[in-house]
Amino acid sequence: MTTLVEKPVTSAIRNAPGGSFKAVLALALFESRRLLTRIPVLLAFAVYLGWTLWRAGKAWGDYPALQDADRATQSAPMLVGLAVLLSVNQAALRSRRHGTERHFAVLVLPQWRRTAAHGLSVVAAALLTAVCVAGQFGREALRPAAIGHGSVSELLVGPLTVLLFGTAGLLLAGLVRSAIAAPLLVVFGLFLFAFFWGTSDDATRWLLPAVVEASSNTLPSDLMGRPAAWHALYLAGLALLLGLVAILVAGGRKPVVMAGAAGALAMTLVGGVAQSAGESPGLVKARERATLHPEQVQTCLRRDGSTYCAFPEWGPRGADWAGVVDRVRSLAGGSAHEQDLVVRQRIDARYGLSGDAALAPLERPHEVTVGTQWGGNRVPEFAAAAAGVLIAGDEKAANSICDGRIVPLMWLAVGWESDPLDALRRVRLDDSVTGSAYVLQPTHGLYMTEAQTEVLRALLDLPRDEAGARVKDHWGELTAPKVTAARAAELLDLPAPEGEDKCS
Amino acid sequence: MTTTVSASGLSLRYGGTRALDDVSLRLTAGVTGLLGPNGAGKTTLLRVLATALPADRGAFTVLGHDPGTARGRQEVRRRLGYLPQTPGFHPDFTAFEFVDYVAILKEMTDRAARHREVRRVLDEVGLAEVRGKRIRKLSGGMRQRVALGSALVGDPGFLVLDEPTVGLDPEQRMRFRELIAEAGEGRTVLLSTHQTEDVAMLCHRVVVMAAGRVRFEGTPAELTARAEGRVWSSTERDPGAKAGWRTGTGTFRNVGAPPPGAELLEPTLEDGYLLTLDDAGAEVAA
Repeated sequence: MTTLVEKPVTSAIRNAPGGSFKAVLALALFESRRLLTRIPVLLAFAVYLGWTLWRAGKAWGDYPALQDADRATQSAPMLVGLAVLLSVNQAALRSRRHGTERHFAVLVLPQWRRTAAHGLSVVAAALLTAVCVAGQFGREALRPAAIGHGSVSELLVGPLTVLLFGTAGLLLAGLVRSAIAAPLLVVFGLFLFAFFWGTSDDATRWLLPAVVEASSNTLPSDLMGRPAAWHALYLAGLALLLGLVAILVAGGRKPVVMAGAAGALAMTLVGGVAQSAGESPGLVKARERATLHPEQVQTCLRRDGSTYCAFPEWGPRGADWAGVVDRVRSLAGGSAHEQDLVVRQRIDARYGLSGDAALAPLERPHEVTVGTQWGGNRVPEFAAAAAGVLIAGDEKAANSICDGRIVPLMWLAVGWESDPLDALRRVRLDDSVTGSAYVLQPTHGLYMTEAQTEVLRALLDLPRDEAGARVKDHWGELTAPKVTAARAAELLDLPAPEGEDKCS
Repeated sequence: MTTTVSASGLSLRYGGTRALDDVSLRLTAGVTGLLGPNGAGKTTLLRVLATALPADRGAFTVLGHDPGTARGRQEVRRRLGYLPQTPGFHPDFTAFEFVDYVAILKEMTDRAARHREVRRVLDEVGLAEVRGKRIRKLSGGMRQRVALGSALVGDPGFLVLDEPTVGLDPEQRMRFRELIAEAGEGRTVLLSTHQTEDVAMLCHRVVVMAAGRVRFEGTPAELTARAEGRVWSSTERDPGAKAGWRTGTGTFRNVGAPPPGAELLEPTLEDGYLLTLDDAGAEVAA
């Protein structure tokens, strides 16, 4: 009997050039589909989108500064990142948990290529996050009243956070082959986040994926001083490093993987060191100039006799400010009705985005401060400041008003609004419409006594034209220093107030 | 007949235990049964041939490829279908997803062709109706068919099946035999089993292992012939028999060296298997 030994045979279907690479891509597609349909990931995206839509519907969202809007895209993707971390970790441990390791060990695609496919599936989640971020930011950028400039580097933080969390979950699966490790890592990460959140140390807080500022100070783009590009490089390097180390741990000790890991480490280090370098002397000087001598960097426009000076990015906002000044002035009597104002945009940029001190009131006559934010409560606050200057002559004098002049001042501030009572509530610190309260302004606030509030409420209850006429008829006496709330009520033919009329 | 799998001198030790001891065999197209008691080394041999485990010594080729090299091992794996003794499943995958996943791990990259192949295989193992059902909702027999489907996907030239009928009810086992018989048409199938009926019904060749060594290699008829004249009937259990048991008719069926004048019976494959083990010094359980 003759025995023939079979010659090597080739498989036409599965022996194509680049088959392993294509298989990794095919597996990545498979894993991406599964990852993006995991319940935690779906829930996280649903919460993310819901939160974004809810936030977009807020009134103060109508006037976004895009240099703030870009950072607003960074926090919510962390939720998606956590879900991706847990889901990728579970997927990478799937074979171990269900006892298919021995079976799959004899299949063509080795473990490290499967790990690479899991890594690529995280890229899909990051790309979907990028689409959400683009949608979120795009919506803000397309608002007619949007001003400023967003940063691509800031916008990259959200997707890179998802990528980083996902590769962390993948590496964890390679190092600790237990399903409990990932939830523990999440808890540990949250503790770490809480710890670094409270620290004011600039160097360490930039180690976190998303660096949220403690205050809501809005600054011109060129004064932000956030090392966004370096931070994006740091995040990208770290995500890549974790992913490549996961592949190395899975057995992919190939020169290209090792070289990639070395490159990613270099990216992480360069980005990490550069982002911690602190603020340049040039930036410090520019911030100081914008704070102390804003007129040196501002452009002004004149409208109806008044002047509106703004930092370059806020130029289009001048029309909104002018609209408010016109309405406030239209309610004033005497010479205030014709008084031209200088509206000056001011910031305190010396402490960067973390500075939240109130601006000092101006002493220059007829000059009003306006901030860098607009919309919502900022409108009646600015109106109150403009009204104060029309009545007292300058901001410092207006801020120290502590008598019945508050009544015509607040009438000017809110009387022109479609819902004056709502405007009054929004401009008061405690959101009240009765009793005493502080009235917010771009600079220091005003104090409104209970009696003044009573008189103003009674005035607001009158038909607008009638109230306006009464105020204009007695403008001189109403805006005279030392006038009491009771006297103001008498002049306006309103019931005498019963409440306290002492400034605190 | 063309040899598709050829092994010579395969040896493997687990600590002090000699799991494989100079195993040599040749497989050809069709179903070859691998019989042996527990601990005979069957699963170890299958794992070595499936490239899951490297042998300490010896060599083998599968369809002309030498798995001793990394490239050769990949080539063998490209042509291999492996059904382990206790296959695991991803319970939240559907039957289709699981086989599709295995197909990707076998480097089937063309999505349309792969999906056609997955559907073909699921149809072949009788799971077309439940391919969209999650594995956790399938019965044990259906899961075993999913495992066979994932071994068959990609039309492998060499199929390694490690006790695939364990735990199946008689009807499922019969269905599985049909599937294995179909799978053996045109490809080499190595079937490890404790069931001599499986071998008798399915296999054109049989290998008997005991204590890590090959004790027999030949056709089922040749294995049966080993018991020719060594099986007899008696009214009492013959103390000289290697094994003996009472049959349904009340008489005893004895295997071993019959006494003079004994009433000889037609041997079966199982008789030949038991005597082969006995000749090898292995413990015979009957």
